[in-house]
Order: sequence, then structure tokens, then C-alpha cells
Amino acid sequence: MTRGEDLPKVAVVAAAFFVAALVHVPLGPTSVHLLLPGLVGSLLGPSAFLAIALGLVLQSLMFQFGGLTALGGNALLMGLPALACGLLFQTFKGVNAKRQMIVGGICGGLGIVGSALILAILLAASGEDFLGVAKLALAAHLPVVFIEALIAAFIIRFLFKVKKEMLSAPFTLKRKQP
Amino acid sequence: MTTPTIHLPFATLLLLLGLLVACFWLAVVSVRGMAAALESQPDGLLPLIGSDEPQRSLLHDWDPRFKIVSILVFAFLVVSLRQPEYVVAALMVALVTVFIGRLSWARSLRRIMAMNGFLVMFLVVMPLTAVVHPGDSLIVFDGINNWPFNLRGLMLALVIIGKAWTVALLMEPLLATAPLGATLEGLSRLGLPKRIGELLLIAHRYIHVFFGELQRMRSGMDARAFRPDHRLDTLTDFGNFVGMLLVRSFERTHRVYDAMQARGYAGEMPNHFNFKSTIADWGKLCLLMAIGISLLLADRLFGGGA
Repeated sequence: MTRGEDLPKVAVVAAAFFVAALVHVPLGPTSVHLLLPGLVGSLLGPSAFLAIALGLVLQSLMFQFGGLTALGGNALLMGLPALACGLLFQTFKGVNAKRQMIVGGICGGLGIVGSALILAILLAASGEDFLGVAKLALAAHLPVVFIEALIAAFIIRFLFKVKKEMLSAPFTLKRKQP
Repeated sequence: MTTPTIHLPFATLLLLLGLLVACFWLAVVSVRGMAAALESQPDGLLPLIGSDEPQRSLLHDWDPRFKIVSILVFAFLVVSLRQPEYVVAALMVALVTVFIGRLSWARSLRRIMAMNGFLVMFLVVMPLTAVVHPGDSLIVFDGINNWPFNLRGLMLALVIIGKAWTVALLMEPLLATAPLGATLEGLSRLGLPKRIGELLLIAHRYIHVFFGELQRMRSGMDARAFRPDHRLDTLTDFGNFVGMLLVRSFERTHRVYDAMQARGYAGEMPNHFNFKSTIADWGKLCLLMAIGISLLLADRLFGGGA
């Protein structure tokens, strides 16, 4: 669980992921921005839900993406896959770089799949008129899954090389005492 | 009741589509100037939520607690509306509010434009996919007979867009008429756990710090002739880029926390804002509530069964 005195840290880390999600990756003639639900879960563990909720609130306050009235749904569809992927990553990550990279990539892709599925379910539950929108939303997420999986894998590989302890225990990393 | 169906020649469809594209193009052109003006501002790329500039207007002088309650309740009343004519009325109320607050139209417009891509999807998809009920008006274009254009679906989409615009317009009056700290303090007085307000304040602050770092790293990449394309190498570079951002941010997290503790942080931040309610605060609250409730009542009582 997130301890009380760790809360400011969660806020700062949430800010970091918020900014990471502003990075645009070219895709065909257009570009997509990263979502990284799988990675948030892998690095933050149980704190991921709080961090995502914070990010979503700020996003809707700053840009009007999402909107305050849709906040609950958005937190659900980003947060649940993040928690699941975090658990998956911590369970299957193993110890060597290649395996961590592959598992991280799979978690990155699965995070988007989970988000898209929950979005489709929420839309479909809003009534039969929304079924077409739900299918379209699901299809639109497909190319993003591959991009996200690859980028998540490369990020995990980088972190493994540079700062391995970020991958080990979810967000309990302590600085080594000098 | 049978389904009234209107048959139109195929050319009308092309004409309508052309009109839609023309409108969109016109909107983009007219917004471009405003967007350029916004981007020259210091917070142009990544907007700040609150405003620290001392300014006076009916909204700026409103006690944040009352402002938050009034505008949020009004927004939820608007979202419950069902009839197009009352949604338009609510949109007018929101426009007047922005006007009274002497708020930047460019910023409000940017909020609306941020949603429009998503909303256009509703506009195009809903008329085609809405389930046909008896009594719905259909438009069938010759040549594509099995894809009827359902007017009820179109109306549903327009109502959604109207509500979304109204709520978006209300956000600048809610947030940009006070410093973010004051708004969050008001929220905590209303029962939001104090911790959540603090977290939002910290996260908002560091988003702008990390965004500066992101831009610095990005210009470093550009200086080394990085050109994003569609090879796997680009994705590797993006992975390293985001990874480096995360490493730096996580390290900064510890420094921030140490600095807070050095200044005596023990789980609670000092309080800077004191509120005092006046008759005017209550008056503005009652006015907005009355407008919202009467809109909802009128929506449900008159206007037929929808």
C-alpha cells in the first residue's frame, strides 16, 4: 500500500508519467501519444491507480481531455489494466535483461488491450445506440497496441541498463545510504 | 406508427459531405490565428490551470467554495438535460459566464477544440449506427439504401456535443478565476481530503518542471540530428528518451521529498488562504442554481417524451 509519507512522491512520479504521455510517436501519416498504462503499473505497483487518477484529473483540468464528468470511467479503464499489468510484470519478469524486456513489452501491449476493452464495454453498456461507437473505438486502438508494446519493451531495457532498482520493488526504492 | 423515410438523390450526400468538410476547414483556419497567439504565451504549450494574476470581476470576487459548488452542480444539471433546445440555452448561459469573467476566449476555445476530434466521431457514427425505433425519421440516399441516416441518432449526437461544449466552457470560469491553490483549498473546505488537494498541487507543479526537462532533452536530440521516422531505431530512441525522463524524474522525486522534509514537512502543508462568505456569494450561488434547476425542470416537463 501507499504509505502516507510517500504521497508527495507519488504526486511527483505521476507528474513524470504525465509528461511521458505527452511524447508523440509517429504512426503512418499522423502521430500518437503514449499512454503507458502497463509501464505505470510495472513501476509503481499498487500506487499506480492513485498516480493515474491524479494524472487524469490534471489532464481534464488543463486540456479538457476526458472531462470531469467522465473521470470515473477513465480512471477505471486506465487504472485496472495498470494494476493487472503491474502484477503480471512483477510475477513473470525474471532476472535477465531480455526476459524483463519481453515481459515488459507484453505488459505494455496488454495494458492498451485492457483499456480498449473496458472502454468498449463501458460504451456498449451506455445503450444499444452506442454499439457502433464501441466497435470503432476498439479497432482504433489496434495499431497503438504494437507501438506501445515496443516502446514499453525499449523503456524497460533502458531502465534495466541504467537504473535496475526502478524495476525491482514497485516504488519502494530506497536510496542507498552513503 | 410507421417510420417516416425521406429519399434523397445521391448527389445531396456528396453536397452535405462537402459542406461538412468546408465548415471544418473554415473552423480550422479561423482557430489557427488564435492558437498562434496562445503559443506565444509562456504557458502556451502546457497550460497552467489557475491564474495568479490579480483581476476583478463578478467571478474573480466569488468565494471559491461557492463558485465550485455552483458551477459543478450546474454542470451536472446540464449533463442530465435531454432536449436540444434546453441544451442550447445552457450553452448560452455558459457563454455569458465566460463573458462576465472577462476570460480569454482563446483559452476556452482551446478547451473546446481539444474535445472536438472525439465529438466529431459521434456526429458521423451515431446517425448511421443508432438502432431504428418506430417513429424515427430516416434519410435514405439513393445508391446506399441499406445505410439509412437516422435523424434521431444525429439529434442524440448534437445533444452530446452541446452538453460537452457547455461543461468545457464552464471550466475557465471555475479554474482560471483564482490561483490553483485557492481553488484546491476551497475544495478541501468542502470536504475533499486535504491530501488530495496537496497531491494535485505538487503534481501540477512538477508536470511543468518535467515538461521543461522534456523539451531540453528533445532539443538535445534535435541538435544531434534526430529525425523521427518509421524504422525500429526510432522506437528504440523514443524508448531511451522516455526511460531517461523517468530516471531523472524518479531521482528528482527523492530530492523534492528531502527538500520538503528539510522545510519541516510532516504530512501537511501550511495554509495560505482564508475565506469569508458574503451575501453576494450566496446570491450568485442561488442565481446559477435557479437557472440550472429551471432548465432541468423545463426539460423534463415540456418537450414531449424522449
